[in-house]
Amino acid sequence: MQVFKDYLQQHSPITEEQFQLLRKELKVKTYPKGTMVLREGGTTQVFWFVCSGLLRAYTLDNQGKEHTLQFAPENWWIGDRNSIYFHESAVFNIDALEDTEVVLITKNFLEEAQTICPDFRKYNELLLHNNIRHMQCRINQLLAATAEERYLDFIQLYPNLTLRISQIMIASYLGITPESLSRVRKALAKKHSY
Amino acid sequence: MNKLIENIVARPAQPGMVGDGFRVFNYIPRGGVNQRRISPFLMLDFNPTFDFGPSDHLRGVDVHPHKGFETVTIAYKGSVAHYDSSGNSGVIHPGDVQWMTAGRGILHKEFHEENFSKTGGPFEMVQLWVNLPKKDKEVAPHYQALTADDIGQAALANKGGIVRVIAGSTHGVSGPAKTYTPINLFDIRLNPAGVFQTSINAQHHTALLVISGNITVNDQSAAEHSFVLFQNEGEDITIKANEESIVLLLSGEPIEEPIVSYGPFVMNTEAEIREAIMDFNLGKFGYLE
Repeated sequence: MQVFKDYLQQHSPITEEQFQLLRKELKVKTYPKGTMVLREGGTTQVFWFVCSGLLRAYTLDNQGKEHTLQFAPENWWIGDRNSIYFHESAVFNIDALEDTEVVLITKNFLEEAQTICPDFRKYNELLLHNNIRHMQCRINQLLAATAEERYLDFIQLYPNLTLRISQIMIASYLGITPESLSRVRKALAKKHSY
Repeated sequence: MNKLIENIVARPAQPGMVGDGFRVFNYIPRGGVNQRRISPFLMLDFNPTFDFGPSDHLRGVDVHPHKGFETVTIAYKGSVAHYDSSGNSGVIHPGDVQWMTAGRGILHKEFHEENFSKTGGPFEMVQLWVNLPKKDKEVAPHYQALTADDIGQAALANKGGIVRVIAGSTHGVSGPAKTYTPINLFDIRLNPAGVFQTSINAQHHTALLVISGNITVNDQSAAEHSFVLFQNEGEDITIKANEESIVLLLSGEPIEEPIVSYGPFVMNTEAEIREAIMDFNLGKFGYLE
C-alpha cells in the first residue's frame, strides 16, 4: 500500500489526509508467480496497480500462440476497460510473471477520489490520455515500424524487462518471431559492442 | 592474537535453483552478512554434492550478462562448460577455478559439460562474486582459467593435509589469481586431526565455508556446510579437522565505496545501473546465441 500511496502523492494532487479517507476503498492482494489474474471471457470490476512484481496482458490465437498486449511492472496500471466500463467479457488474459503485489483499484475509488479531491479528475484524465497516446504509438509501431525500431522503443519503455522475461515473451510483445528478435540484437551488438 | 569469530551460521534451510543446473544454498548476501559487511565479496552460492542423474539435456544457465565485478567458479566435483560473447569457451574440471572479470560487461552461459551430463555423477561447485573498485569497473572483460595444475599447494604439518592457494599467499605459496584488490582464497583439504594455521590481516573481511566434514576453528566447532564469519580483530586462524574435511577460506581488503546492485550488475550509483541496463539492451556487451 505504501508504494501506491507514494505513487499517488508524487503524481496526483491527493494529500495524506485525503488518502486516509480513500484508503477503505483499496485492497492489497498478492499473486504467486504463474497465477492467472484475469481470464479472457471472465469479468472484472478493478484495475490493478503493481507495487512489486510483474503482470502481463495477453491473448492466445487459434494456433495457441501468445500475443502480449502489455507488461505491467512496478508502478504500472493494468486493467480491461471492456469489462470494467462496458460490463462485457474481458478480451484478454492477465497473469503474474513474478510473485506480484498489487493494489486493487475500483471505479468507486476513482469516483470517490474525484469527489474528495476535485483536481484528481484532471489527473485521471491525464492518465487516460497517456494510455490512449501509448495505444496510438503501439498501433503505429505494429503497422509501420521495423523490428529494430520496435525493440528500441521497447527498451526505452521497459528498460529492465530484458533481464526479467524471456526472448519469446519480448518477441510476442513486439509482434515478431524470436528469431527476428535475435537478428535485431545481433545487429545492434555488431553496431555497438565495445 | 586469534581472530575473533562474529558468528557461525548453519546452512540455509532450502536450496534454490540457478537455471536448471545449479542447486545452491546462498550464504552471501544473507541475514547479517550483507555486501558492505563482507566487501569485497558480493555473493556466495554453494552447490553441495548433488547428483542430477544422467541427462541428454545440458543443464545450466543460458545467456546472461554481468558488469562491474568478477565471478569466481570453484569446481570440486563435476565439470562445467562455459561460453561468452568475446568468443571464449572452456571447461572447468574438478580442482580448476575460473576467475572471470566481467568489467565493462560480458554475456556468458554455463552448462554441465556434455560427457559429464550424459553420465551424471556428483556435482559440487562454489560461485563467488568479487567486487571491482570503481576505477576498474570498466576494464575489458577477461578470464583467468586456473587449472588444478596452476594452483600451487603446500603440505600441512604432520601429514595433516594440504592447502591449495587460489589467491593471496600462505605457507610460502602464492596463488596464481591476479586480483584487483588484496584477496586470499584458500582451498584447504584436511585429513582427520589435521591442522591448518595461518595469519590474515585484521583489516580484511574474513570468512570460511565448511565444504565437507566437521572442524574446530579457533576453539569453536563448525559443522558441515556452516559458514563462519570473523570479526575484524586478531589475525590468527587455527582450523582442526574432526574428520576428513574441506574448507574454503576467503578474505579481502574491504572496498570502501557505495555498492548499488541490480541483478547481474554491480555499480556505485543508481545512474550507473540504469546506464548498464541500457548498454546491455543496446548490445554493447556483444552477442551470444
